[in-house]
Amino acid sequence: MFDLVEVVEGRCQLRQALIKDKRFGDCLSILPAAQTRDKDAVTPEQFSSVVAQAAEQCDFVLVDCPAGIEGGFRNAIAGVGEAIVVTTPEVSAIRDADRVIGKLVERALPIRLIINRLRPEMVRTQDMLSVDDVCEILSAELLGVIPDDEEIIDMTNRGEPIALNPSMRLATIYDKIARRLEGELVPFTSFDSPGFFGRLFGALKAG
Amino acid sequence: MHEPVAQPTTEVLAAPTAPRGRAIVVTSGKGGVGKTTTTANIGHALARRGATVALVDADIGLRNLDLVLGLEQRVRYHVLDVLEEKISLDDALVRDKHSPTLCLLAAAQAREKDDVDETKMKALIDQLRERFDYVIIDSPAGIEQGFKNAVIGASEAIVVCTPEVSAVRDVDRVIGLLGNAFRPQLIVNRLRPALVKKGKMLSVEDVNAILRLPLLGVIGDEPEIIITTNRGMPIALQDEGATAAAYRAIAARIAGEDVAAPTVEVKDSFMDRLGSFFGGRR
Repeated sequence: MFDLVEVVEGRCQLRQALIKDKRFGDCLSILPAAQTRDKDAVTPEQFSSVVAQAAEQCDFVLVDCPAGIEGGFRNAIAGVGEAIVVTTPEVSAIRDADRVIGKLVERALPIRLIINRLRPEMVRTQDMLSVDDVCEILSAELLGVIPDDEEIIDMTNRGEPIALNPSMRLATIYDKIARRLEGELVPFTSFDSPGFFGRLFGALKAG
Repeated sequence: MHEPVAQPTTEVLAAPTAPRGRAIVVTSGKGGVGKTTTTANIGHALARRGATVALVDADIGLRNLDLVLGLEQRVRYHVLDVLEEKISLDDALVRDKHSPTLCLLAAAQAREKDDVDETKMKALIDQLRERFDYVIIDSPAGIEQGFKNAVIGASEAIVVCTPEVSAVRDVDRVIGLLGNAFRPQLIVNRLRPALVKKGKMLSVEDVNAILRLPLLGVIGDEPEIIITTNRGMPIALQDEGATAAAYRAIAARIAGEDVAAPTVEVKDSFMDRLGSFFGGRR
């Protein structure tokens, strides 16, 4: 198996390093990061050229950026044309997201927001910031809201993407995010429906 | 003939250095596992025991410890001001509102982690260790320069891991980088006992079968932690409650007390309890 650093160093071709996820036919490939190297092993220019190569072969290239705003972040944003900022509705996460958005805006990258781990119950009891609050603080366009659901923990640990399993509660939410990325106008699921019956109704029409 | 020069005894050598405080880095590799919340709560829990504690935010550029402690309005200077000798350490330390023996040294928000001189950072932590019983350093995520800055002055490490395979992998990498010198101890954070029971979350044993570290504590995934963190009132300040008690037990273990092994209360259903009563489980 090859990794990103080996592609950069010219020790293999990009197509040799890409691992096809057979569950998705020929549609999804993964370029693994190097585990035994540090982030300085790649320059932003090198990273950018790998992303450009990948973009020639694929409709979408998603770059999973490391935490922080150091070298790994600078590499990850080097070759991209737009950014998705993921935050949780917690003040510390929002402050970090705000700082990251500032850095992305400096590069004139269009930004959209995913609010992750929302707990609708806590929003209702005003123990958690709402989607509107977060969007207002960060003044960014919303791409999606993902509730804090135990499905994610379980599926992630097992290496099974939720998006593969249409019966999962959250599958429709990721599907909608994907459609929005493709440019479709998709209405947002509301997480504000109050009370048990509201929730039940919300679940029934979920998606 | 000359008398042999008297060699300084250990007593003489020990005299000028009063008992030095311990410098502990809180780290994880992965972001979002709760390092800052853990740092703030351990700080308060140690201070409640009467210890003097300095909390250092090493996450330069992405500071948060001031927010979690509710001290953001009181921060005027930061760690780089001290390192660059623009301000004295005394002026930069912010005294906590709730725990009088707790102080914060905030991170710089508008600066980069590469601006830190590692040698000076170590000297600063040494200086703090002369004055405080505990110096707890909140490390940024990752294993880049910010991590190195956070670790340089520390002599011990607490690693925070959530029961997720991705977090375990990152922590494992960090433990490898730390080596044995830091005697790392583990806090398993955000455990949901009910999910563990259903086999849908890694258990503490699962996590530690891979990491193999002394277990310092287990913290449940409680909404109350999010609320108290958002409000800048760490949960360890509360007198009641399982989570506050868990942080107090962690503080006691850090202080060297022999506290019973950490557990997280499983909110068993009636049938589960009935089952275990009859020896039906385990």
